Amino acid sequence: MQVFLAQVLNGLSLGSIYILLVTGFNLLLLVAMIIHFSYPQVVVFSMYIAWVAMKYTGGGPVIGVLAAVGAAILMNVFCAPLFQKVMKKRGEVDINSTMVLSMGIGMIITDVLSHSFNNGFPISFEGLLSGHETIFRLGLISLQSGQVAALGIGIVAVSGFFVLLYKTRAGRAFRAIAEDPNGAKLVGLPILRTSLAGYALTGLLGGVSAILLAMLFGSASPGLGEQVAHKVLAVSIIAGLGNLVGGLVVGLALGVLEALVQGYVSGSWSNSIAFVIMLVVILIRPKGLFGIKL
Amino acid sequence: MPLPVYYFISISAINILMSWALYLPYRVAHLHFLTIANMAISGYTAGWLVMSLHVPFWIALLIGFALGGVMGFLISFLIGDAPTFAVVIVGFTFIYITRTVIENTKAVGGTLGMFGLPSIGGNPVFHRWAILIILFAMLVIFGFLIHRFDHSRLGRAASTTFMDKDLASSLGIDIKKMGMLLQTASCIIAGGCGVLYGFIFKSFHLDFFTFHLVGIFMTIIFVGGYSTMWGSLLLAPILYGVPLLFPPAIASWRIVIYGVLLITVLVLKPEGFITRKFVHSIETVLSSKRKIRNM
Repeated sequence: MQVFLAQVLNGLSLGSIYILLVTGFNLLLLVAMIIHFSYPQVVVFSMYIAWVAMKYTGGGPVIGVLAAVGAAILMNVFCAPLFQKVMKKRGEVDINSTMVLSMGIGMIITDVLSHSFNNGFPISFEGLLSGHETIFRLGLISLQSGQVAALGIGIVAVSGFFVLLYKTRAGRAFRAIAEDPNGAKLVGLPILRTSLAGYALTGLLGGVSAILLAMLFGSASPGLGEQVAHKVLAVSIIAGLGNLVGGLVVGLALGVLEALVQGYVSGSWSNSIAFVIMLVVILIRPKGLFGIKL
Repeated sequence: MPLPVYYFISISAINILMSWALYLPYRVAHLHFLTIANMAISGYTAGWLVMSLHVPFWIALLIGFALGGVMGFLISFLIGDAPTFAVVIVGFTFIYITRTVIENTKAVGGTLGMFGLPSIGGNPVFHRWAILIILFAMLVIFGFLIHRFDHSRLGRAASTTFMDKDLASSLGIDIKKMGMLLQTASCIIAGGCGVLYGFIFKSFHLDFFTFHLVGIFMTIIFVGGYSTMWGSLLLAPILYGVPLLFPPAIASWRIVIYGVLLITVLVLKPEGFITRKFVHSIETVLSSKRKIRNM
């Protein structure tokens, strides 16, 4: 029972990061109409920038947080014109070409990380950002600062995002564009500016996710982005592309499932079992459990 | 034949075949990365058959083709008409699962891999020529079949499906069967390529079947041009060969170079270098010359 509870706690903290990532991914899909497959790779890139900033300035976690958030926002906004250009060239919204473009960006990020940072070796975070400080322990159940931060900040960030989306004018603009881009244009909504705001907002969510991932794992490697990217896209498909509420449920469920499998199955089989379950759901319901919202 | 030339020719041929394996399902807008998993599954199975059960290479190769085809066919039942992103994620998931299974299977060497595969015919020189002849036979046969497909009613049906699935359905095209046909064909090619890939190096290792392969094949097909088979034929040797001429310090960045090239082409020339229009204009020139010569 203690193993079960410990793994559920682990799973909830991991799931809350998946939720943040899936929410950012879905927002880009809804507002900018792109499948930014390498969005999690941008997040891992931000983790590396935070590590570099802290290592070479000798600064504390605040410098790391600012560097991660800044890098994620800049990367996302920098990529925006590329996506817009590809979509314009095709004459219509083309999710496939934006996905391929994003995969190209992911290839570059992963290879740059494996060449230029720490000689390609995994990086590890120190101090507050390592998140390994034990806050509470009861038998096998132990609660570490990284888990608490991931869960707490994850819930606050997602709640804040939903308040922004459903209770503010900017949020209404996002939803209007997601619902009907042509209608939104007709009523005078600035499509490009709102899309750019969407890129920046997802960058912000990405930066927060980068810090939480650093606190939860305490380390990062160049291949982490590919693995997370795959899971985020899978969560989004299982939930139903663009379905924000579905993303919350499935993201949390995947986190808990993964942690439980890791708790009871030994070795590298654990990851595979989570993938098999994901695969079965995708094969049976390619349009998602909660329906596509595009 | 010098070894570097042998490796260049054989790997270029594998890259062309694998790009065609991706090109075929992309005719109906499916990015079918299951092919990479199929390469690994067929390759390792053939390697195990040859090493452990002493099955002759030729039979192992045929089993590799068949295994790829059967897997592709079975999976296509479920994703024959799925949206592109679902097909992509199924492919990636299979790559992860395949890697994990191989990693944990001692019979195929686990994380260490499988080394010391025997030469075909017991002679290294014969082995190299045999591999090259098989690869070029495959290039000719599959190239001919894909060319015929592109110029057939089925090819036109695939193009219609790529442009607009609703339109294709209303014209009476069975989208699912079309997807199944192309996915199965691509997996057959990938199965054979997987076996040959391992026998070129006389070993199998998990590092052969990573996401780098996805990047390489994707760059070949999108930079070369996804609307015809000729782009891959032209670009695969160039993309593989040119980085080999660079100094090692630059050549190690080849994935970054591929990524930049891919993005640049997608932004500036979305259909890639060899477009259908370009091929058509060359065909027109050639046929008019032929007509003049016949007069």
